[in-house]
Amino acid sequence: MSPLGQPVDRVDGHLKVTGTASYVADFQVDRLAYGYVVTSTIARGTITGMVVDDALRAPGVLAVYSPDNPLKLFAYTQAQNDETRPPLQDKVIRYYGQLIALVVAETFEQARDAAGLIRTTYDAQPPATSFPSGTAVNPPSGSPVQDILAPGVPSIDAALAASEVTVSATYTTSVNNHNAMEPHATLAAWTNDHLQIYTVSQGVRLVTQRLSTTLGIDQNKIHVYNPYVGGGFGNKWGNWAHTPVTAAAARALGRPIKTVLTREQTFTIVGHRPASRQEVTLGAKRDGTLTAVKNDGVSSMSPASNFFEPVANLSATLYASQNIHVSRRVIPLDAPPTTIMRAPQEASGSFALESALDELAEKLGMDPLALRQKNNSPVNPGNGRPWSSKHLDECYRRGAEKFGWSRRDPVPGSMRDGDWLVGLGMATSTYPASRGDASVKARFQADGTVVVAGTAADLGTAQSTVFAILAADRLGIPVSRVIPELGDSSAPTAANAGGSGSTSTNGPAVQLACDAAVATLIKFATGTPYFPTEPKYVDGSLVLGSTSMTFGAFLSAMDVPGVEAVAASPRANDPVHAFRSWGATFCEVRVNRWTAEPRVSRFVCVVDAGQIVNPKTAHSQIVGGLIMGTGQALLEETRLEPSGRFANANLATYLVPVNADTPVFDVEFLDYPDTFLSPLGARGIGEFGIVGAAAAIANAIHHATGKRVRDLPITIDKLL
Amino acid sequence: MQGFDYKAPSSAADALALAGERSAFLAGGTTLVDLMKLDVVTPERVIDINSVPLRGITHDRDVLVIGALERMSDVAVHRDVVTQYPVLAQALLASASGQLRNMASMGGNLLQRSRCDYFRDVRTPCNKRTPGSGCPAQTGDNRGHAILGTSSSCVSTHPSDLAVALTALDASVVLQSRSGSRTVGLADFYRLPGDTPWVENVLEPGELIAAIRVPRLVWARNSAYVKIRDRSSYEFALTSAAVALDTVAGVVRDARVAVGGVGTRPWRLPQVEAALRGKPATEENFAAAALLSVAGARPLAHNAFKVTLVQRTIVRALAGVR
Repeated sequence: MSPLGQPVDRVDGHLKVTGTASYVADFQVDRLAYGYVVTSTIARGTITGMVVDDALRAPGVLAVYSPDNPLKLFAYTQAQNDETRPPLQDKVIRYYGQLIALVVAETFEQARDAAGLIRTTYDAQPPATSFPSGTAVNPPSGSPVQDILAPGVPSIDAALAASEVTVSATYTTSVNNHNAMEPHATLAAWTNDHLQIYTVSQGVRLVTQRLSTTLGIDQNKIHVYNPYVGGGFGNKWGNWAHTPVTAAAARALGRPIKTVLTREQTFTIVGHRPASRQEVTLGAKRDGTLTAVKNDGVSSMSPASNFFEPVANLSATLYASQNIHVSRRVIPLDAPPTTIMRAPQEASGSFALESALDELAEKLGMDPLALRQKNNSPVNPGNGRPWSSKHLDECYRRGAEKFGWSRRDPVPGSMRDGDWLVGLGMATSTYPASRGDASVKARFQADGTVVVAGTAADLGTAQSTVFAILAADRLGIPVSRVIPELGDSSAPTAANAGGSGSTSTNGPAVQLACDAAVATLIKFATGTPYFPTEPKYVDGSLVLGSTSMTFGAFLSAMDVPGVEAVAASPRANDPVHAFRSWGATFCEVRVNRWTAEPRVSRFVCVVDAGQIVNPKTAHSQIVGGLIMGTGQALLEETRLEPSGRFANANLATYLVPVNADTPVFDVEFLDYPDTFLSPLGARGIGEFGIVGAAAAIANAIHHATGKRVRDLPITIDKLL
Repeated sequence: MQGFDYKAPSSAADALALAGERSAFLAGGTTLVDLMKLDVVTPERVIDINSVPLRGITHDRDVLVIGALERMSDVAVHRDVVTQYPVLAQALLASASGQLRNMASMGGNLLQRSRCDYFRDVRTPCNKRTPGSGCPAQTGDNRGHAILGTSSSCVSTHPSDLAVALTALDASVVLQSRSGSRTVGLADFYRLPGDTPWVENVLEPGELIAAIRVPRLVWARNSAYVKIRDRSSYEFALTSAAVALDTVAGVVRDARVAVGGVGTRPWRLPQVEAALRGKPATEENFAAAALLSVAGARPLAHNAFKVTLVQRTIVRALAGVR
């Protein structure tokens, strides 16, 4: 039976849970030295002096690299959602916690202790740190405003004025940090002019591109190896300051160097999700038909990265409306770099739009689910393209049925369980789907295994297992005989892990690579003593008449280690359709009547994401997204002080959900292959789970308490 | 972390003989080692007392005695503690995580240092860590900070749940030093920060906690610890309440109330207890008494909600044991 669509254990699960999978910080090489990063303690200004004599004299110290003793790094030429400039090339401080020196010593402890001896003086300038009182300006890229108006309608405000019912409110979200379990780390080792580098990454090709530019060496002289990644969530896409510095320091020193960031450093050096504000006004007819959607969105933005979230965009695509206005502006802050974080723009955008829809439903006296069903659109309102495969109505119906939505008393505060106020809420979930180009290699080996290799990354998403399943399915062999090789830059260029594009992009390439390898195997076999004429390939064996040999036996008999082929899968080129994954998220929240702490007790999520390759790990993806969304809704908030320092850059006071916060999950996939996207029909699910979770929780809290909190996270103090 | 001298004596006498101005006793290490890694605490000598015989839980008609090196997880499931002093068991189980409770000692728990993020970040000023350097929490990020017992030098809370429960129970600690042994009530053990916030208790240099004594309180069977926090587990209290109620026919005869997460030390509330005595055990009377808990409270920019929340916490805790 084909493993495609069956629940399959992770191919690397045993290695991971037994601690035998080697992550970057686990690697050791001969003569390894250790780097420790020194960071700034002001947010804006210039370095006037760094006293490093004590550090240089400290035991075991090999070098201190700083703006006074810089490493040559060339300007970046390509945006990677990370810093726009290489580190140590000037004395300008752009944010608190910026990398200002790298201490290298024989041991980690020596480097760390010496780092504590460096004294830095600054000419400090007052930083801009207030998002609420900042002035919004046009973004550095892209159009600031988008209007879609029905014929004859002069403006969105005219459309709103003509609407029978309107609601208007402002929604805000906090700075969030990714906090992947594995901290960022880089190990760089040079042999002559070749760089061997182990570095955490959502795509090894991103590393070769960036380091080639900034180190001034050819990409083919860089070998990146990073087989396992302990969570990414967006901030392992870019190559942050410690990576080029470590590589350049290793070159300058003539020693391999390993640098691992501390948890606190991962709050500043490697980016965060921007804060956002959305002023939303919805206009509707009394029957619930949306007539106007207006969302003026603002994102915080650090000039260190120039990254912002166009949070209002989702409002221009999720529901049918004749008149739509969205805007995208930014408030620059002297804060650590902003960057992509799971479902950038969609996660925060959905909180505002889906909360506003709930408020509209209340004003209309309409069921919130019915309002969404009423405005479900068969086409993308932004460009009029029909959705490739949309079964959102079924998600709504199936989710409502599983959740017991019909038992919801619409009156806020009406449902109780002892001392707990019970609330039921829901939101639409969605994330765009895409398919890029990718190349993958498939190789039949004499030991009976098949290697499938591409420069993809498995962040814990089980992308490796997806490779194994798809190859096993295509070749008619067990999953256990497929060896996926990801995270190695010597492989053909496959999709980096981002934008929920891995499976949709790499999946078709794995299939084509397997087909190509079969063709190569057949061609190689034809005319050999075993197969005088062309054999057929059947489920791992070559068959000709009464002769049947497994490919392993055949290759062994031929004394050939393997036969391989590389195939490329093109990017989607569909001029007709728009692509998204869809779903409905329902949740039940309890709020204590005395002390007001909100606790999520139940989630139901029905997902329409095309063909599901592995329902077991897909389930984990959605559950992980819902938990992360619970964090965004109720707990996660990095607080920027007037000094520009993050006040809670640690996991004791930057709160993420713990096991006790995770409720009962009921996740169901509809499994309609999206054949307009690819023959495989798989869309993405990595980002999807978080979108809608925060709004569903906020809506449930309103239902439980009657309180509408429009500012995330929804903490006890906002509910008392 | 800075280098240090490590000793592991096997008797209290040897441990005390090794102690001095720049030494630290190591029990579970769940606070000390963290703070050493952060360079917040930099002892020249670490005296590992885990081999010193300071264990055991004994219970007679007058007193419950808990050895200072008993692990939190063991005490939390001790039969007499669970049945006679549920407030203690609940406070212990609401603390930290299972792994930490397996390591952390009872004595060490009482000596936990501040969880203020400024105290723990050596790049910022902190009067508790560096006397005279200032207190950024007064105007900075202070959502988790105290509203009772604060001073212009320090506004950080005492983080221990256990200490709140023990304070409600009138417990005391047995202290040992080279010059002998003394017993100090917890109410007198902890100091207010005043203008010397680095002095957190009356322990002399080289003195250590040997045992905890909880005087018999029969109606402590009817006690509870309620801890309110943003997430369900593994977080220090925003507010907490340790309560015990002695009721006869629905009327309060006696009460114990102490609160955590709001005070610069574990905070007993005699005025609330007095207001409860003789009154019917109703939510209205609980709320009226709880109002007295915040007399003199000095909320900061981000923690004013604790004025309301601590009252609600008290009422919820009392309602659970009436």
